[in-house]
Amino acid sequence: MLKIISLTITIVLFSSCSSVDYLYKKVLPKPNVVTIEDRTENTQENVIEADQSSLQSQGFSISGVDTSSIVEPVVVADFRNTDVSFVLYFFYDGTEIYEDSTKQIIKHANFMRNNPALNLRLEGHADERGTREYNLALGENRALSVKEILGLYDLSSRVEVISFGEEKPILQHHDEDAWQKNRRVEFVYQ
Amino acid sequence: MKQLLVFVLSLYTTLTWAVLEVTIIKQDENALPIVISDFSVVGDANQGKTIARVMRDNFNRSGEFSASSANYVINDKPNFDKWKTKKIEAIVLGKLEKISKKVFNVEIELLDVYSKKTLYKDKFAVHNSGIRRIAHYLSDQIYHALLGEKGSFDTRLAYITVTNKGKGEREYRLEISDSDAQNPQTILKSKEPILSPVWSPDQNKIAYVSFRNARSEVFIQYPFVRRKTQKLPYFDGIASSPSWHPNGKSLLLTLSKNGNKDIYSYQLASKKLIRLTTDVGIDTEASYSPKGDKIVFTSNRSGQVQVYIKNLKTSKINRATFKGRYNAKAVFSPDGKSLAMVHRVGKYYRIALLDITNKYLTIMTNNQLDESPFFSPNGGMIIFATHKGSSGVLSVVSILGRQTFELASKTGEVREPNWSHYLK
Repeated sequence: MLKIISLTITIVLFSSCSSVDYLYKKVLPKPNVVTIEDRTENTQENVIEADQSSLQSQGFSISGVDTSSIVEPVVVADFRNTDVSFVLYFFYDGTEIYEDSTKQIIKHANFMRNNPALNLRLEGHADERGTREYNLALGENRALSVKEILGLYDLSSRVEVISFGEEKPILQHHDEDAWQKNRRVEFVYQ
Repeated sequence: MKQLLVFVLSLYTTLTWAVLEVTIIKQDENALPIVISDFSVVGDANQGKTIARVMRDNFNRSGEFSASSANYVINDKPNFDKWKTKKIEAIVLGKLEKISKKVFNVEIELLDVYSKKTLYKDKFAVHNSGIRRIAHYLSDQIYHALLGEKGSFDTRLAYITVTNKGKGEREYRLEISDSDAQNPQTILKSKEPILSPVWSPDQNKIAYVSFRNARSEVFIQYPFVRRKTQKLPYFDGIASSPSWHPNGKSLLLTLSKNGNKDIYSYQLASKKLIRLTTDVGIDTEASYSPKGDKIVFTSNRSGQVQVYIKNLKTSKINRATFKGRYNAKAVFSPDGKSLAMVHRVGKYYRIALLDITNKYLTIMTNNQLDESPFFSPNGGMIIFATHKGSSGVLSVVSILGRQTFELASKTGEVREPNWSHYLK
């Protein structure tokens, strides 16, 4: 059953390749190590399409850093109003980037190429489960996975990676719903 | 009006420096029953009750003892036969005498009810500001006289508190207190997260991680020197998870140079970095064995999060944990024979104790999200952070699993406890 899931992901990836063929070859996700114990979590999860509107309407800051004091360049604000996601979500203890997320990253890559004056900070986050220091490392690995893809567009030098681990949750309650939203990488343009 | 304002401000200060509330959750029915009588006082010495109460609380929290007062002051030779019928094993009595404005003489005696013999006796002078400290010191002496090992009373805690300030803002504080949570002092306040506080072996410094510069960096704070803070040099990537060498001369750190998270030893005097792990996976949460000849750390090198021990003499790395799919943040017990760690059981994260030699793993807690275990300096207790309701509290479990107590804040969350060595 589990093999079928990862196989499906691979097939989906290859079948949808077009302009991004070359990308997928380089960042082909490793099959997620799924255990019996983890199964319940992973079946619920799949990659969640970033849904900022619902987060914003709940009054949560999009960025781990207080963005209210940062005046966002107009181009970024305009870009934000397109169908792009500024937040990507991850599996439990996972750093793999799946197809939907890759598409979003490519939108950001194109945006960065069109706006060479902008730099990007990728902020990695984890859910509260497990230890804080491990989660700090995990959050950084998530942001690095995103940076790796941007690196294929020669954007590495403009991308800074930081991790907040589990210290800046978007949702503060203690259930799967909150954990899903908290395992994320946020895009902050500077 | 001005005076009133001052009053309001000072009231605010005392409110926010709230003492953690200590609640005993589970008491062991086999705990040794002892009596600690209120001290007799000569002259104006009200602290006679305080000393005895602080001591009783210490013994009751330890899990080894059930300490009661005598309901009256025992001045002299107790009526041993009467206490024997009440199944009391030992009696502590003392005297406090004011000999000048700020100096007291303290006398203490510990008597065995069955043999009627004196097990410990002492007499000395003490400054009145040190009454609580003396109560902790005497508790350690009596604990030792009764059990043949040290207590962990004359020690301090460090921990982080988090309070919601509204509008998504939070206030993080690094606090220290006595081992019984009294005398809390805020030594650092920040809007950005503070984590991983660790007392230096000489108890004059606390290393911690701060996000004050919007990235994770390691600092060293001198809690008893006003405003003295030292920042470690800039490292590329994250710097986190500090832990002191037993000699206090170096720190273990997790650094993510080039994105690869490995463990380094940072020599404070020479500022040299020695790389201790090279695996491509995450290596973090390292701490030394009591002798400093080994380190224990968390790694996902096997594809799972597990605990490893590196022998620094042979450079060999061995996996320490095999039971369970998630074991992390291990610390050596003070005798070096076991590890306390976060262990995942199904969906839950609990504190477990691993006997390093025979690999026997004991799960010590039954909560949902336990983390940050740390041993008391005598190894008799493990303090850790957990959730109660929606808030974070500290909890302490005795190694024998017989006793637990909780430290909670009325104003917010408490997390990441660290227990100091014995005070000097």
